[in-house]
Amino acid sequence: MAGETAGGEPGAAAGTPERREHLFKVLVIGELGVGKTSIIKRYVHQLFSQHYRATIGVDFALKVINWDSKTLVRLQLWDIAGQERFGNMTRVYYKEAVGAFVVFDVTRGSTFEAITKWKSDLDSKLHLPNGGAIPAILLANKCDQKREYSVQSPAQMDNFCKENGFVAWFETSAKDNVNIDEAARCLVDNILTNFKNFPVEENDVGSVQLDQEAIPAESKSQCC
Amino acid sequence: MSCSDDSTKEKLLWNVKKEVKQIMEEAVTRKFVHEDSSHIIALCGVVEACLLHLLKRRAAGFLRSDKVAALFMKVAKTCATAADICKKVQDLQQQVDGRKNFSGGQESLKRQNSTTGRTVTLTPQALKHIWVRTALIEKVLDKIVQYIVDNSSKYYEKEALMSDPVCGPILAVLLVGPCALEYTKLKTADHYWTDPSADELVQRHRIHGAHTRQDSSPCKRPALGIKKRHSSGSMSEDKFAASAREYVESLHQNSRIHLLYGKNNVLVQPKEDMEAIPGYLSLHQCGENLTLKWTPNQLLNGTLGDSELEKSVFWDYALIVPISQIVCIHCHQQPESKGVLVLVSQDGIQRPPLHFPPGGHLLAFLSCLENGLLPRGQLEPPLWSQRGKGKVFPKLRKRNSSNRSVDFDDNVVEEVSTDYVFRIIYAGHKHENITINYHHLAASRSVSVDDDEEEEDRLHAMLSMISSRNLTAPKMMKDTGDIIEMQGFGANLLPWQLNEYCSQGSSCLSCSTGSSPYDMSSCCACVHDRTPLKLLCENMKRQIVSRAFYGWLAYCRHLSTVRTHLSALVHHSIIPPDKPSDASGGLTKEVWSKYQKDMKNYKELELLRLVYYGGVEHDIRKEVWPFLLGHYKFGMTKKEMDRVDEAIASRYQKVMAEWKACEVIVKQREKESHSAIYAKLSSGSSIDSHVQRLIHRDSTISNDVFMSTEEIDVTDRDLKCRTDKTSTHTTVAGTPSAIVAAEPQQSVEFDSPDSGLPSSRNYSVTSGILSSIDDQQSICFEEDESSTESDRTEMSLGPPQKTKGILKMQDSICEEQLCSQLEYLNNSEDISSMCPTSYTIELLDTIALNLHRIDKDVQRCDRNYWYFTSDNLEKLRNIMCSYVWEHLDVGYVQGMCDLLAPLMVVLDNDLMAYSCFTHLMKRMSQNFPNGGAMDTHFANMRSLIQILDSELFELMHQNGDYTHFYFCYRWFLLDFKRELLYEDVFAVWEVIWAARQISSEHFVLFIALALVQVYREIVRDNNMDFTDIIKFFNEMAEHHDAQLILRIARELVHKVQTLIENK
Repeated sequence: MAGETAGGEPGAAAGTPERREHLFKVLVIGELGVGKTSIIKRYVHQLFSQHYRATIGVDFALKVINWDSKTLVRLQLWDIAGQERFGNMTRVYYKEAVGAFVVFDVTRGSTFEAITKWKSDLDSKLHLPNGGAIPAILLANKCDQKREYSVQSPAQMDNFCKENGFVAWFETSAKDNVNIDEAARCLVDNILTNFKNFPVEENDVGSVQLDQEAIPAESKSQCC
Repeated sequence: MSCSDDSTKEKLLWNVKKEVKQIMEEAVTRKFVHEDSSHIIALCGVVEACLLHLLKRRAAGFLRSDKVAALFMKVAKTCATAADICKKVQDLQQQVDGRKNFSGGQESLKRQNSTTGRTVTLTPQALKHIWVRTALIEKVLDKIVQYIVDNSSKYYEKEALMSDPVCGPILAVLLVGPCALEYTKLKTADHYWTDPSADELVQRHRIHGAHTRQDSSPCKRPALGIKKRHSSGSMSEDKFAASAREYVESLHQNSRIHLLYGKNNVLVQPKEDMEAIPGYLSLHQCGENLTLKWTPNQLLNGTLGDSELEKSVFWDYALIVPISQIVCIHCHQQPESKGVLVLVSQDGIQRPPLHFPPGGHLLAFLSCLENGLLPRGQLEPPLWSQRGKGKVFPKLRKRNSSNRSVDFDDNVVEEVSTDYVFRIIYAGHKHENITINYHHLAASRSVSVDDDEEEEDRLHAMLSMISSRNLTAPKMMKDTGDIIEMQGFGANLLPWQLNEYCSQGSSCLSCSTGSSPYDMSSCCACVHDRTPLKLLCENMKRQIVSRAFYGWLAYCRHLSTVRTHLSALVHHSIIPPDKPSDASGGLTKEVWSKYQKDMKNYKELELLRLVYYGGVEHDIRKEVWPFLLGHYKFGMTKKEMDRVDEAIASRYQKVMAEWKACEVIVKQREKESHSAIYAKLSSGSSIDSHVQRLIHRDSTISNDVFMSTEEIDVTDRDLKCRTDKTSTHTTVAGTPSAIVAAEPQQSVEFDSPDSGLPSSRNYSVTSGILSSIDDQQSICFEEDESSTESDRTEMSLGPPQKTKGILKMQDSICEEQLCSQLEYLNNSEDISSMCPTSYTIELLDTIALNLHRIDKDVQRCDRNYWYFTSDNLEKLRNIMCSYVWEHLDVGYVQGMCDLLAPLMVVLDNDLMAYSCFTHLMKRMSQNFPNGGAMDTHFANMRSLIQILDSELFELMHQNGDYTHFYFCYRWFLLDFKRELLYEDVFAVWEVIWAARQISSEHFVLFIALALVQVYREIVRDNNMDFTDIIKFFNEMAEHHDAQLILRIARELVHKVQTLIENK
């Protein structure tokens, strides 16, 4: 349903589509209580509240980004409950995602330790068309708060990202709105790069629509 | 040429229609259309496409890239309205250009700011369509288009859409609606136009509900296409004309129906004594349903007589055949390469043969049909695809070599290679298809069984029942009433049935009428034209009977599977809502007080029946729920109830003491590990560490001020529980003093190295030689001792000698045990009874993990609900920790708080809530990861939906297959607690509990089914996939009509019960 009325569609009917519209499914995962929902609410609705409930199952949010004059990006953010790591359900939730935020809480070292588990779960269930892992960004959330001592130095974090296949990491705060837009931009940038490299994988709703349009037209011409 | 032009025009107009419809829908549901709505852009796009269709070069301007602009400018010369728009657009463009130059390199910054939407910002899309868009928003687009249409010869080629005497004006008229709308610049809540919300979808459904239902009915019910047409002769004239128009329109492609194939001049001989007449054959796809239509040319071009009556004759000839009813397709290719196609439906009826003109059209039709059947169905044998040629007829073995199991007739005709029989096969329905396999060579079959008249009658009865329904559609199980009805069907229907089949059979004769008699015997398998009609009828009867028998058998088998499956889900005895008395009033205060006075005269089941059908009056829920949940048993005396309460109280106290003792140690360990790491970090430079410490102190302070962080909450709680204990044992330390005493201690440990207490931090900072683990441990140990001492002093309990004594008994690593034992000493007079087991590291880790999870969830449990003040959250935490302590194997799983919360609200009593929660969790814990109930729920949902609503099931299956039903996860995990408002949760829960004994232990399944059923049209009409449906139900949370859903759920249970009762 999302993007069915994509702007690119009528453009395509009139001539060559000038503006491309993308719908990207992005996962937000991490241990419970690290602030996944807060990050999403901050990013999408520009607000922070103490009153979120624990997510059960999955929640959604949609963010529309005017990426550049030729590209409109709709991010469909999947807010997956922190305790859903094991089981078949995450496999279904992960399906067709093209990017991920993996979140931990700097005030709790154990949430950082769980990062590798989340990442390997993600990588085992989801691949790019070339077999590689989908771009994932590590978010060190709640950086406005007192850090737990086990959290590592920037250099160590860089290293950690490299070892575990994260595209980048950001220190974020949903409360103070620190680095969230930046992290999202970085992720979308990576997704778009992947998309350009493997245009076969059609996430672009507009052109999918085009294909569907073509079928009846073609069979119709048989009447002559 | 003209044909392709026409279809282009048609398509262009169709696109406009679609977009106009969309935008009008949005306007109706939102009360306004936002200027940034993608519907506007979409509409502009399709309108422009129409405007540009065969625009004269001269009008477009040779050099201009923007042809629409050129057209508008040109029109503006003679049309004042267009001139206004030109001016407005130029102004806008100037504004945009100006800003662009101004902002220059700050593009990215601007993008961020643009979300605040201060000035006229135009999206690039809006800019692209600026001309049409401006005209639309200024509400003059229709006038301009009308003007262009009126003067089309100036601007357009003859064949252009705008020059078309029909299409042009239609376009102008179509735009009148959108030009009457209000467009607004107001931003929506999230600054962008987004997908329709669940609310909007529901609203849209309400508006179009009646209409869609009509639409869908032919899809839902396997229509008796031809018969219906025959009856249409009795329609009144004007009604008829309207339906005729509708019908012709239905032949075109529209938003719901795709045209897969169309071919004119296909011949059909409608009646035996008539010549074959030409008509338009088309194949339509609506959702997953394929429909074949054949319309006589006379109806289409309207040339034949104006007399409606005359037309109505042709209406009777028109064919509408749902492909779902067709099991076999016979193809006869004749030497002059004409193709004849006969469709055979599952009831054995042969449709009148379709004669295709020469030239591969038959093959083209088959390949379109094959495509249309995908992915669910297929032709067997499939067409072969050949490189370069596309699809070709398969090269087949002779029919007698085929190994169909239920093939009666072993007599095999000589088949010319150009004759084919294709079967239509649907995945997953194979067995049913086998039973209704069609045999058209019955003429030569031997007569054996049918001599017995009695037997024949019985078979006839079966036949009539089976032919009256669609066998392949599993949804026929819906009505149990029908099954009974079928028994009543007797042979009296038989003559009618026979007549029907005979006439159909004779129409099969016409298979060959179109071709020369010479071809007949070799090409057409229907050789019965030489057989006396009577014998033919006999044979037809026989084959129908045999097919009927196998159909009936399959049906019985299916029904028995369904029955065994369903019988486990519901109770077999139906407890009615109205006997002995009307239960819809529910369990009222009055009834309850009567019960309390006179327990013996009230049966448990009767009370539960009241609850099941009418709920519990809110005021007495507090008293009734403990009974429903099993804390008390119905019929207990006051004394017995007190005893139960006492037992629970002592258990609860014991459990609380246990986990609280453990919690202290866990907290201690955490502090140690913090400080140990800190020590490591700070050992490098004492100055650095000092600075760091200061920073930390600052941050703690800021936390204190701005938000209550988790850690502070924990400390707070920690203090409180200590306070509790303190107050139980000593009166010296009052509550405030205890807090005061504890607070400096905490701050000392973390922030003040200069304090007199020997904390590990102190050591680490001052000594600076901590590297080995041993060292750390020893420090920890010392720290422990110190904290023990502080504990002791704080609580003024536990003689030091005793502590020391225990210390000596332990090995050096067991400083935790010291603590625990100290706690036990503090909490219990009788040490031996407590049996202080030593905690393993694993256990402590588990506890720490669970405590943390509980804390996280307790803090954010329904904070918006008035009941959950910090005091009550504290109680919630205590109960939850106690429960989890007793069930450490499962541990705390997210969602448990949600289950406890409503109990606390209603019962408002720790002990009662704890006990009831424990009872509730006996069932609910099975849903959590360690139990298997969730998968069972999903599986049950799958079979129930498959049986009760096969159409929806197919849709779920096709749209990415979400028949795993994961979208129901939260429903089952929390007994719909998140789906409903608190008041409704109470009502639904008590019905679920009562249902266990009244109707079904799996009542939640039926609530889930009811939820799906309430919104099924929306799910279907929007073609929802997994994401859509899960999003939809997430958004619909707390917006459901709980009473309606309960009613439907009870009805569904009843439906299944009756189905089983009627075995």
